[in-house]
Amino acid sequence: MKIDKSLDRLEVITKRLGQEDVPLDEALALFEEGITLASEVKTSLDEARLQVKKVLEKAKGMFVVEDFDLE
Amino acid sequence: MLEDSLGAVWLRGEVSNLKRAASGHTYFTLKDDKAEISAVRFKFASPFLPAPTQPLEEGMEVLAYGRATLYEPRGRYQFIVSLVQPAGLGALQVAFEQLKRKLQEEGLFNEDHKQPLPLYPLRVGVVTSPTGAAIRDIISVTGRRFPLAELYIFPSSVQGEAAAAEIVSAITSAERFSASHIALDLLIVGRGGGSLEDLNVFNAEDVARAIYACKIPVISAVGHEIDFTISDFVADRRAPTPSAAAEIAFPDQEDLRRQLQAFASQNLRRVRVNIDRREERMNSRLHEYVFRLPGRKIDSLSQRLDIHLQALLREMQQAMAKRTQALDHARGLLLLSDPRLPLRRGYSITRILGEKEPLRDTARLSAGMSLETHLLRGTVLSSVEEVKTDEDR
Repeated sequence: MKIDKSLDRLEVITKRLGQEDVPLDEALALFEEGITLASEVKTSLDEARLQVKKVLEKAKGMFVVEDFDLE
Repeated sequence: MLEDSLGAVWLRGEVSNLKRAASGHTYFTLKDDKAEISAVRFKFASPFLPAPTQPLEEGMEVLAYGRATLYEPRGRYQFIVSLVQPAGLGALQVAFEQLKRKLQEEGLFNEDHKQPLPLYPLRVGVVTSPTGAAIRDIISVTGRRFPLAELYIFPSSVQGEAAAAEIVSAITSAERFSASHIALDLLIVGRGGGSLEDLNVFNAEDVARAIYACKIPVISAVGHEIDFTISDFVADRRAPTPSAAAEIAFPDQEDLRRQLQAFASQNLRRVRVNIDRREERMNSRLHEYVFRLPGRKIDSLSQRLDIHLQALLREMQQAMAKRTQALDHARGLLLLSDPRLPLRRGYSITRILGEKEPLRDTARLSAGMSLETHLLRGTVLSSVEEVKTDEDR
């Protein structure tokens, strides 16, 4: 999930909902979409655990990616 | 006169006869193998110049900036020092200033070359030592602030002879990795604090050029022992420590959660406002329909009702009138068929006594017959004396 896309979309939705001419059907659909997006982002934050990898370039363009553990 | 003609100069030499007076001024002799001059650094030489980075010591090789003046009471020249630094450091400093000026003139510090940092970097490369304090700090801050992120460490030594080359190779390696494997949103290049010599690798021209050329946005994150490194100037963003770099790089998830909450409640409020506004509008429309437009309608309705009523009344009257006429007509007909009607006019009905049929002619009559004549009021019994036909008249 692209969190920046979600947050951008949320911003767009919020702006649109603030306009006076939004038809009610659209407003309710946008609201629903916004709530869904927000809870998706929140869930992904709740479940997230930082991933740390070490990247070694064995030969040019040949990468080995390992999990990184702090010694 | 002399002061004016000599002006300010840099002198390099060894410190000897170092004396710190109670006044706070420092007196020493600056000498090399060919010459010497007595020097003084006044306590308040200039508030605008930096204090020595290291206290002066006997025998220390220094680089001193100042001007020669005549000390009249003794008739000797004296060097008034405004800036003094250990010569080694001075050389570093000079090299730093020279490189800084050169790269600046080349445009490597230009603001318009700096890339904006992504707001929510998900995949971030880190060029640093895998065993240093820097990576530990970055991991800890990132884990706390933005655990959605993935950190990709490109190991490099960050001090010693090979460090500059290793940092350059790690940066270019990160770029290749980003281009061909996993796109990196951001690169943090740095190390924790250390001595000036330790940090000096981030003043290397090659490192500066690699950072400048890097297509991934770069945050320089060199420990805060000194103010700036060349890397700081060429990077897209400068952080005073690796921890600070992670704080600059990543949004704080607490802020994000608040923001999400704010979005949700703001949207809810806005939808409510929308509904309220709609309701209001509907109400006012309803009001228009029910109270204003209908008002007009009622006016015309009552007019129409009046018209209808009048028409109805007229119709009824006409119908009544017709009916009355019909009644009258019928009554007339009835009246006409009433056998007594002729009697009213003076006619009378005559029958042979005992018969039902009224007499219409004289055919069966003969003298002596008894007749019964009905008048309007009363009946007359009579006898026939003589019968005359119409031909007789």
